[in-house]
Amino acid sequence: MSEIKNNEASPAPAGGASGAEKDWAEAKAAFDNLKSKKPRPPKPHTAVTIAVSSRTLFNMVEERKVWEQEGLERYVSYQQEHEEQPLKPGAAFPFVKALMTVNTRLRELYPEGEELFDIVLMTNNHAQVGVRLINSINHYDLLIERFCMTGGKSPIGYLKAYMTNLYLSKDSDKVQEAIEAGIAAATMFTPDMETELSETQLRVAFDGDAVLFSDESEIIVKQHGLDTFFEHERKNENKPLAQGPLKCFLEALGKLQKKFYAKNERLNCPIRTYLVTARSAASSGARVLKTLRSWGLEIDEALFLAGAPKGPLLQKIRPHIFFDDQMFHIEGAKELGTIAAHVPYGIGQKYHKGKLIEQLAKKS
Amino acid sequence: QSDCTLVTAVSCHDIFDLQTGQSDSSPLAKGTAFAFIKAVQSVNERLVKLSEKQTLLFEVILLGKDCEEQAKSKIFDSAKYYLEIGKFCFCSKEKFERTLQENHVKLFLSSDRDDVHVPAALLCQQADQQVQNQLKVLFSGDLIGLTEDSTEYLKDLGFNDVQIHNFKAAKGRIQEFAMLIGEMRRRFGCEDSPLHTILMTVWGSRDICATALKTLRAWGLDVDEAFCLAGAPCTPILTVLQPHILWDDGLHN
Repeated sequence: MSEIKNNEASPAPAGGASGAEKDWAEAKAAFDNLKSKKPRPPKPHTAVTIAVSSRTLFNMVEERKVWEQEGLERYVSYQQEHEEQPLKPGAAFPFVKALMTVNTRLRELYPEGEELFDIVLMTNNHAQVGVRLINSINHYDLLIERFCMTGGKSPIGYLKAYMTNLYLSKDSDKVQEAIEAGIAAATMFTPDMETELSETQLRVAFDGDAVLFSDESEIIVKQHGLDTFFEHERKNENKPLAQGPLKCFLEALGKLQKKFYAKNERLNCPIRTYLVTARSAASSGARVLKTLRSWGLEIDEALFLAGAPKGPLLQKIRPHIFFDDQMFHIEGAKELGTIAAHVPYGIGQKYHKGKLIEQLAKKS
Repeated sequence: QSDCTLVTAVSCHDIFDLQTGQSDSSPLAKGTAFAFIKAVQSVNERLVKLSEKQTLLFEVILLGKDCEEQAKSKIFDSAKYYLEIGKFCFCSKEKFERTLQENHVKLFLSSDRDDVHVPAALLCQQADQQVQNQLKVLFSGDLIGLTEDSTEYLKDLGFNDVQIHNFKAAKGRIQEFAMLIGEMRRRFGCEDSPLHTILMTVWGSRDICATALKTLRAWGLDVDEAFCLAGAPCTPILTVLQPHILWDDGLHN
């Protein structure tokens, strides 16, 4: 999935690459001279690009109701009528603020650096809703200068064009499309209660199987049971697991973390990563750690729950976002105030609370 | 031809491929503008379906600058074969400007960046020649969002006062075309419209983009899609968008 940034061979026509460099140099000059001295957005090629949808960035529940009950035309006029009213923060808002904090720290250490977070608003909304979105972004002084309002069209082509490293949306269909297209993506859920989050450190928690790693081991659990799973993991301890949809995002976070380590800021690093897995350390943990090591990736804290619920532990960690492939864990996290994001990938999608969904349907 | 007719002029060099050698009998090969004409036809068909006495329609004029006599008849025959072009104007290079004025051309389209005094836009090559049921028109947010206060960033990009003055003039000139497109667009709903309008701000900040959106709205044009790139390369986005017409008055040469 990091291929997106490395693949310069894709779409640029003859002269495209030098045209892009020229575009970049000019934009750099313009922003550097801006009277307001607003920090300029980084080069897409070297940035860690996070695309957020309007419904994850802002709370648009009321507006959504208008669309559902009264139709698209009325929804667009409603938004225009309320243009001067800033929208309230949504599920991804704390995450975006945390990304901004990291950028501030990175700019202090690397004033000319282009390896920064780049936050893009990627919305299906009609451009007319754009004015309200821009007004809201201005209200909170968010670091979002790039956006795409696709007027109803699928954002997938644009995600690639913006070299997106992570896409967050409330729409699971779009998230699924993105994952199938090789882009790390997750469906965001609003927690049932508010939690106080760190304002100085970005905390990102990942589930292991079917999120950082492929679902190969999960398939064994579901189809052959835990004992077979433990045996299989022990036997294959030294064989790295295949990568999962969020591996590249962890990698991107790792690259930024290293920039802090290089300046002796390891103890004060504003990015912290967590692995929160149902695996048990003793029987199936080694393979996971060895896999990460083989990828050259570090994770700050690895927490093996041996099947215990994730909710209480996440409450202690207070991540700005927690990625998991199983809705059961997402629901548990959300109930206890954690901002959870569902990764619709792998065998876990066919199961609900351990039972095959098709079988459940047949029974009812 | 009423005041409402959106008269657009296209050069025959863009409709037909006049370069490659042709056998005498076969019609000329299709050029860049072909997809545009097809898309325009879809729009007109849908407008007429809504109201038979429709006056707000596209009219496409084929312009031939300094064409040889042989080429003229070839063009004539080929155009009839392919399209319903209303008017043909063959003129010399010197009379070109006057021909545009006399025909009340509201937009001149070319795949080259020509220097003319009527509003001109770039005709874009379409990757997929087949699917043409939607006409896509793209406006530059950097130009439309231009106000007295915001010219500084253009200076910082290297444009001089004369160029900036020209951009302001271009913004004024495109208003008529934008208003007509806006009116046309309003005849259709949010979804399933044969006309699709896009705003793209390449260098300007989000506030420039917001100004552009509000300016177009004041002109009666509610764009469908909006992009703000803040310096990100525009080629990948344009490759996805595939607009037929790109209006930026040469800003992004």
